Amino acid sequence: MEFRLDFTFRIVMDLIYYAVNIAFFKVLFLHTELIGGWTSEQMMVFVASYLLVDAVNMTVFSTNMWWLPFYINRGELDYYLTRPVSPLFFLSLREFAANSFVNLLVAMGIFIYAIANFSGPWGLANLAGLILLLINGVLIYYCIQMLMIIPVFWTQSARGFVDLFYTVGIAMERPDRIYRGWLRIFFTVIMPFALIASYPSRVFIEGFDREVLLHLTTVSSGLWFVMLGIWKRGLRNYASASS
Amino acid sequence: MIAVKGLRKTFTTHIKEPGLAGSLRALVKRETVTKEALKSVDLEIQQGEIIGLIGANGAGKTTLVKILAGIVHPTAGEATVLGFKPWERNNEYRRQMCLIMGQKAQVWWDLPALDSFLLLKEIYQIDDRLYRENVEFLAETLMVKDHLKTQVRKLSLGERMKVELMAALLHRPRVIFLDEPTIGLDLSAQKAVREFLKSYQREFRPVTILTSHYMEDIKELCPRIVIMKEGSFVYDGPLAEVQRMLGDEKCLSVTTRERTFKFTIARTELAARTAEIFAQNDVLDLNIQDPSIEDVIESIMKNGTAL
Repeated sequence: MEFRLDFTFRIVMDLIYYAVNIAFFKVLFLHTELIGGWTSEQMMVFVASYLLVDAVNMTVFSTNMWWLPFYINRGELDYYLTRPVSPLFFLSLREFAANSFVNLLVAMGIFIYAIANFSGPWGLANLAGLILLLINGVLIYYCIQMLMIIPVFWTQSARGFVDLFYTVGIAMERPDRIYRGWLRIFFTVIMPFALIASYPSRVFIEGFDREVLLHLTTVSSGLWFVMLGIWKRGLRNYASASS
Repeated sequence: MIAVKGLRKTFTTHIKEPGLAGSLRALVKRETVTKEALKSVDLEIQQGEIIGLIGANGAGKTTLVKILAGIVHPTAGEATVLGFKPWERNNEYRRQMCLIMGQKAQVWWDLPALDSFLLLKEIYQIDDRLYRENVEFLAETLMVKDHLKTQVRKLSLGERMKVELMAALLHRPRVIFLDEPTIGLDLSAQKAVREFLKSYQREFRPVTILTSHYMEDIKELCPRIVIMKEGSFVYDGPLAEVQRMLGDEKCLSVTTRERTFKFTIARTELAARTAEIFAQNDVLDLNIQDPSIEDVIESIMKNGTAL
């Protein structure tokens, strides 16, 4: 919240991003009835879901994730490593982005609108499931992002990895049914962007499915442990460049 | 309290020739050098003891301190502090330890110190009474009462260092690592920090390792010193001993009409040599002194032995 103009501009930027995303699918639906098996209204639930995940991530993690590689490279992790708190926790939640919080409210609005306009049958259990799984989605997004940052411990710069993350990250914004074969395995297991918003939306739209839930739990927890393991290895390699 | 055995640390770094050609070559074939920052060192420190760790830049002082503070993993060897392996970063250990680096600020730059302290209070789970007592006591002894509500970046370097010390000692650590706490400070601020550390040590008896390039710090604070050279200890013992090692040496400084020269001779030769000098030169001034601690330590750092 340091600079007023910058603050406002960032909010406007994100609003444009939301509008473009919604418009993109609206335009496609002018030409077709179904995309990836979903109608326009179902698609809105999905779009609102990933916008919400994105907004939470922007508010809670993004600033911290941006700084992390610099901290590692310049030896500024020292401060966090000597405190009696998990350094991962401390570093990930250190700074809260106030400007994105405004966008988070907007994203919530879009989400509520999408749910309210959804005419298919749904119960409170579906909604609760969706919200829980979206929180899980935020964690998946965080884990993948961390996995792209942690190599800094060895490479000293993660520009390539972080660029890869943002490029491939668009996969989160597409319904998972469009991926087949190897691509499907990649986006549902290796870099599980499809599990962030698409799978949760399916649970809301199509109801609970044992296979989907099993897949979500296994891959999410697997990813979490892999991330923690690699983070630990990274810290072993931390050289604390300095004075 | 601190026990170190056979501790080693090696760093591997890549080297490249300067310029674009060098960069391209390094892209294809990289050359690496392995640097031994610590070559198997042993150390024992008891409660209440404060030791001075000295050595040239790159001698391995900071590496040793960083291993003991749990920031860097050693390549081999053992170390325990308060019974903990530092690099396992047990919270119990970290709650009783602090690391103060003169070169790296730890208090939040844009906030008044008291706000940083509140955060630290939460992190270290300091209870309200101890916190109030400690802030009171530290602010009083460091004489920074008036600066705690000012944004840290607006403070002078000396004031900032005092605030840093406060922040580091709020949780009353039993182990203190001080890495060049007086660097860049003016003489009176240096003196204030030293006086503070001395009284703090007397009152709370923590284990302290102090590294500094200012011999004044060492002379004032550390009855025991460890001298490092290229990753090894070349001296570990009482500071007074260093001076005694040279008890039978004298420094002579002679000024003649042409020039001034200095040299060191054994005390037993003093009479004979001075007579010789007076006989052979037109002496304007002659000065006989005990070698200073600075001279001795410099010589140990350079040659690995005293003179």
